[in-house]
Amino acid sequence: MKMRVKLYGTLSQRFPGYQHTQGIEVEIPDGATAKGLLVLLGISECQGAVVVMEGRILKADDKIRCGVQVHVFQALYGG
Amino acid sequence: MKLIRVNMNEKTINIEDVPQDYMGLGGRGLTSIMINAEVPPKCDPLGPENKLIVAPGFLSGTPLVNTSRISIGAKSPLTGTIKESNAGGTVAAALGGLGITAVVIEGQAPEGELSFLRIDKQGNASLVPAQGYKGMRTYQVVEKLLEAYGKKTSVLCIGPAGEYKLTAASIQSSDIDGRPCRAAGRGGLGAVMGAKGLKAVVVDQGGKSADAIADPETFKEAAKAVAKAIREDHMSGKVMPELGTAGLVAPVNSMGAFPSYNARKGVLEGWEKISGEAMAKLIQERGGNTSHMGCAQCIVHCSNEFVDKQGKYVTGSLEYETIWSMGGMTGIDDLDTIARLDNLCDDIGVDTMSTGVAVAVAMDAGYKEFGDREAAIEMVEEIGKGTEFGKILGNGPAAVGKHFSHTRVPVVKGQSIAAYDPRAMLGHGVTFATSPMGADHTAGNVVGAYLTQQLDPLKKEGQVETSRNLQIATAAADCTGLCFMAVVALTTPEGGEAFLKVINAKFGTQLGPDDIPGMGIRVLKAEREFNRRAGFTNQDDRLPRFYYEEPLPPHNTVFVISDEEIDSTFDF
Repeated sequence: MKMRVKLYGTLSQRFPGYQHTQGIEVEIPDGATAKGLLVLLGISECQGAVVVMEGRILKADDKIRCGVQVHVFQALYGG
Repeated sequence: MKLIRVNMNEKTINIEDVPQDYMGLGGRGLTSIMINAEVPPKCDPLGPENKLIVAPGFLSGTPLVNTSRISIGAKSPLTGTIKESNAGGTVAAALGGLGITAVVIEGQAPEGELSFLRIDKQGNASLVPAQGYKGMRTYQVVEKLLEAYGKKTSVLCIGPAGEYKLTAASIQSSDIDGRPCRAAGRGGLGAVMGAKGLKAVVVDQGGKSADAIADPETFKEAAKAVAKAIREDHMSGKVMPELGTAGLVAPVNSMGAFPSYNARKGVLEGWEKISGEAMAKLIQERGGNTSHMGCAQCIVHCSNEFVDKQGKYVTGSLEYETIWSMGGMTGIDDLDTIARLDNLCDDIGVDTMSTGVAVAVAMDAGYKEFGDREAAIEMVEEIGKGTEFGKILGNGPAAVGKHFSHTRVPVVKGQSIAAYDPRAMLGHGVTFATSPMGADHTAGNVVGAYLTQQLDPLKKEGQVETSRNLQIATAAADCTGLCFMAVVALTTPEGGEAFLKVINAKFGTQLGPDDIPGMGIRVLKAEREFNRRAGFTNQDDRLPRFYYEEPLPPHNTVFVISDEEIDSTFDF
């Protein structure tokens, strides 16, 4: 399925020409997981990338649903 | 290792060696343990018995990077509890470079009398009359002081709010560029300084009498490893220099935990307009600086200089908590307005968080509409002018709630919550409820544990334990003078080892990893003992009722940690 993903933090720098209003279009197989999406995007774990869907942070094996907005963040701390 | 004790009644200054009981302490550890030992817990926070203690971390003044946090402590007029509020800037390094462990302001000047405390490059301290600075805002104060004493001068000062003794008054700290844009904002310590009759602490930089390092070679080697860990960490080395703390706006909104419209919703409509990403883009387009060095010895550069459409400086550094309080809570999705409000607060000398929440409570009570930009600016201007309403606003959200007989006031022990709603991030509720400081974003911030998937923000399991561990770790870190950005980078095994090695090399000790939490527990015990003697009980460790009753969209959840679980937070 085709979907649009919005990137945050410094992640968009990896994608020349990235326009935040549109996000990035990717094609993922049905039943793709959060980890699968990050692998497809080429975002390594060391950058602390996490996938958020419908207000919840997905675990690596959680599946991505069709037609739902997906955001990818970098883990940050606050204090 | 010197203490400077200043008596404002008698205008006397005593410089003494650090007593044995306080040896090895710094920052929050020193301010809290000293207040617990020396300040009567039931005293009037704005009276002569209270003490205002300024203490650099125990690593401040060493060559270690990112050690520029200054801790300021007193009994808080806002919460009635013990309080430590820390800030960045340059004064911690300046005091550390002079071998000054703490400056203790005691007594109280006669009403209306105002002074500076000046500390020169030799470490000599003197009180200087400051009547001409009465009512002056902080940017002008620092500008004049730097004209008088030179650019290489560090300043802590109060604005009109501190002189009015408003309980949300801040103490502003000058940055590398001599701007008073860093704040010890929380707890109303600016009011304590104003009540003492002290307008500013003015310290020469470049002192050459820092405390000796026990093992300089090992220290140097370990300090290099610390710097390497900071540079290599994705947050401190990459995201912070690009976005600063404002990088949290996006994830916290996406997780539905960004308290908005006075905590009626967990997502601000239009949050993408005030995100860290949007802010960085805007600043860059206008020729401002998104990677600004704000604090002495900083290698992270999380600060920014926000500029207007003409490229002229508006404020620095626009931070996550301020974007939330002045944006999310008020429903204002405009960075120019938020930046203006930030600058106003710094200039008047009030906490941006308490003030933004106070404005939001007034809006929620129907005084003005959410999202009304001009109204928010006018309200904050009233604090500076000292109008009747301005003084209510400058006393924080609880005072505003009382004025309007409005009960939806998001405070604990009188201090506003921070930018994480307890209903969508349960662990923050535990920290806000139990911190000895009142609701506080610096006391044991859990958001990183959620974003690194250590626990689920909506499930109660693990929240109390995580809050406890983070409160202990933060209390320990607050003793060192290291900034939070650096501390985060030192949570790796290599970083932690280097951090421990630095401390042991500084003091000639053999501390192990378990001794660091021990330091934090000692500080928390002193703080809780002070609060207990001041009359606080477990019943004060509670969130406002609406968090238990009003579901927060979009998750439509309430705060579900029981009182018994809350009361187990400090089972040590």
